[in-house]
Amino acid sequence: MTKKLSRRDFFKITAGAAATTGLKAAIGRNILEPFVRAPENELPGQATWYASTCRQCPAGCGIIVRVINGRAKKIEGNPLHPLNRGKLCARGQAGLQELYNPDRLRNAVRQSGGRGSRQFEPLYWPEGIDLLAEKINSLSSPDRLAFLGGLIPDHLYHLTARLLEALGAPPPVIFDLHSALEGRNTAVKLSQTFFGEAELPVYDLAHASVILSFGANFLETWMSPVAQSRAYGLMRQGPFGGRGLLVHFEPRLSGTAASADEWIPVRPGTEGYVALGIGRLIVEERLGHVGSHRDNALLYQNVDVREMAAASEIPVEMLRRLAIAFADADRAVAVPGGYLAGQRNGLASMMAVQALNMLVAQIGRVGGVFLSDPGPTASLRMRSQVDTFDRMLDLIERMQAGKVDLLLVNGANPIFELPAAAGFTEAIQRVPFVVSFNPFVDETSVWSDLILPDHSYLEASGYQVPMPGSDRPVVSSQQPVVRPLYDTRSTADVLLELAARLGGLAAESLPWQDDVSFLQETATELHGSSLSAYDSETRAGFWALWRQYGGWWSEKEIRREPDMIGFVPQPLRVLEPEFEGDPQDYPYYLYIYPSITLSDGRGANLPWLQETADPMTTARWGTWVELNPEVARSLGVGDNDVVRVVSPYGELEASAVIYPGIRPDVVAIPVGQGHGDYGRFAERRGSNPLALVAPVTDPESGALAWGATRVRIEPTGKKQELARLESLDGAGRETLD
Amino acid sequence: MSRFIIFITLLIIVGVAGAILLTRAQVLAAPDQPIAYSHRIHVKAGIQCLFCHSSALRSAVASVPSVEKCMGCHAVIATESEAVQAVASYWAQGKPIPWNRVNRQPDFVFFSHQPHMGAGLNCETCHGDVGRMDVIQPVVKMDMGWCLDCHLKQPEEKVARLADCLVCHK
Repeated sequence: MTKKLSRRDFFKITAGAAATTGLKAAIGRNILEPFVRAPENELPGQATWYASTCRQCPAGCGIIVRVINGRAKKIEGNPLHPLNRGKLCARGQAGLQELYNPDRLRNAVRQSGGRGSRQFEPLYWPEGIDLLAEKINSLSSPDRLAFLGGLIPDHLYHLTARLLEALGAPPPVIFDLHSALEGRNTAVKLSQTFFGEAELPVYDLAHASVILSFGANFLETWMSPVAQSRAYGLMRQGPFGGRGLLVHFEPRLSGTAASADEWIPVRPGTEGYVALGIGRLIVEERLGHVGSHRDNALLYQNVDVREMAAASEIPVEMLRRLAIAFADADRAVAVPGGYLAGQRNGLASMMAVQALNMLVAQIGRVGGVFLSDPGPTASLRMRSQVDTFDRMLDLIERMQAGKVDLLLVNGANPIFELPAAAGFTEAIQRVPFVVSFNPFVDETSVWSDLILPDHSYLEASGYQVPMPGSDRPVVSSQQPVVRPLYDTRSTADVLLELAARLGGLAAESLPWQDDVSFLQETATELHGSSLSAYDSETRAGFWALWRQYGGWWSEKEIRREPDMIGFVPQPLRVLEPEFEGDPQDYPYYLYIYPSITLSDGRGANLPWLQETADPMTTARWGTWVELNPEVARSLGVGDNDVVRVVSPYGELEASAVIYPGIRPDVVAIPVGQGHGDYGRFAERRGSNPLALVAPVTDPESGALAWGATRVRIEPTGKKQELARLESLDGAGRETLD
Repeated sequence: MSRFIIFITLLIIVGVAGAILLTRAQVLAAPDQPIAYSHRIHVKAGIQCLFCHSSALRSAVASVPSVEKCMGCHAVIATESEAVQAVASYWAQGKPIPWNRVNRQPDFVFFSHQPHMGAGLNCETCHGDVGRMDVIQPVVKMDMGWCLDCHLKQPEEKVARLADCLVCHK
């Protein structure tokens, strides 16, 4: 401020301020606004807590929501729920901002200026549903209809699958980036190979005394992070005997790696080699207390410890030390997931890790590997798991070839989530009619003709069987905690109404009047189960308790021992990882990791999550490229210098973060930013690293090999400050470098 | 110059004093309301306080009835009255009626109707003879001295608890 304040002005301002302050109470008004229509069960001034299910990720944690004067104010974990036991993560807390988001669609809309024009005109719901019914009726053949979903809740999957089956259309394609990044599909294949079941295993981290975690970011985003964090706490505090040991293998020091006793930055794609080396040493040197390893010798007949050590750049002595620690432990467990599942040898690596559990006889033992027991909830489960990337590519090919006339999209945003090179954006433009059920105008909805927005999860009913589950059979129930804010409709309701309009087989197989009557019928199938944590004499009473408790679960712990009868031991394969891009031109491995706050990008429209700092770099509100200090020096790049990352498939520019916690041959970029559409908080912020990723798969599992791309770094000479919680010139930061 | 300072000082004093006086007057004044609602007519018709202020027994606040509740009767009763037509117009637009608050506690006071009703107090004890008021207005200045007047007169075994700071200032 250059202008000096005169004495006279100072007095004038003071007098004015004093008079205004004094008068404020006299002229200020306090308005009481009553409800126009009071919500049911609403007691003004008194908070009500409703139990429901979190939908911010597919884990299915139980939540309780504080509602006062008809408004949802706070989300907490449901203390009774066996999965998360009252705990909740930042993404769960931020669910309120999905409800109150200013960019939510407030009614059904039709894109009036043609697809991609972003000009929407409101549409009456009956008209919208009529339009959809008409499009379905005019299909020349039902297999020209395709449904693409993310990991939608089980009740919705049930209804969708039933409807498609009745119409004779292909089953829903379920694919989202979040599950690709955690390796969900490969984990299911792994269980199928070992246990003969398409089920996600539950790793009993709480009771383990040694955990070898291969790429599984189980404290951040992998599978069920809240339940796993709680288990990790128990493992550390040692109520079951001593403080456990955690060793984490990942090329980057993630939050999970930072919580481990030892972080081993293994060369990308060679995680399986480490597991094979450790396994071979256990068998060869008869380590541990299991007794004879004769049966297992066959598994490791192709493995040479020295070769494994050389390829993974981990000395034999270190492998031996880990092998001894693992084999000698009372309760050891090896957990595969994340980055190693995103390689072209993903399934082979995961098998090598799971074999370690078999080696120390920890399958079906406390502190080892279990399968969750569905108990009486089996009929409520989603029948199919997430699909492979191969199936997604197949859909894209059909769309390209003009074999899809009507595409329905729910809970997925493939244009943002798939590698750009997979060609979804081009393919969707060849589909004559696209309907989206997403409550936000995201990149995919922009290419739809019709948007029939779903309620937010705090306004809708439903249920979900958590997968991976808990230590007992459990179903999480979802109920509306507030009246819908806008003229949106639950997609389950829309499907039921659609079926009624289509008539015939569709109406017969979806005979329910609305989603609540469907849920009531399905949920009360559990009534009378002797396992139940609560009891009621009537079905109506059960339905009330189902909502009050936020689901149904067994009173007692029931764990299921995986059945190994069908497993035929075969020599484990040593598969060389393959990468796209010539190492000469593209010297660095690209590691795109899910952001702990934005997940695969679905959280980017919530400002609380944008504002939450990344736990390792403290950066936020943007995209950054993590470079090892050595690499940065050789490129002449410093913090906040913009670098160009180039892969054989695309390029992006982002600010550099000089991060000592990363291998020199790896470049890491968080996923989640770079939205072109998706609301004011997400748009035009950062870049989407999926633009760089090669659309290749692990040929054995068909899963997206998102880690199999190489890149090069080019300095641009530009500088762009990143928003960070921690100042770079502050004392203490220097000690990291 | 010094004259100017005196002038400014006087202005401040007058401003502050005026504001204080106005505020005090405001405490017992009947604020303007968006609708000419009469408590007298409704009480005369035999309607109990708790019919409209229905959460007083169960909650911290007595609550102002929803527009829906007004319309429950006024869809058919006194529909020709100007005030009722005003209510109907809010209802038709789906808008809440912006009533001006009459009785108010500052936000550092955690007052709750529920225990006072539970102790058997009548509404009139604090709110006056509302049944005779056409325009609702406060009858007492609800300050801490007034609260304690009553709390200190309670039976001996209750006084210690009821006079504790934390009873109201949590």
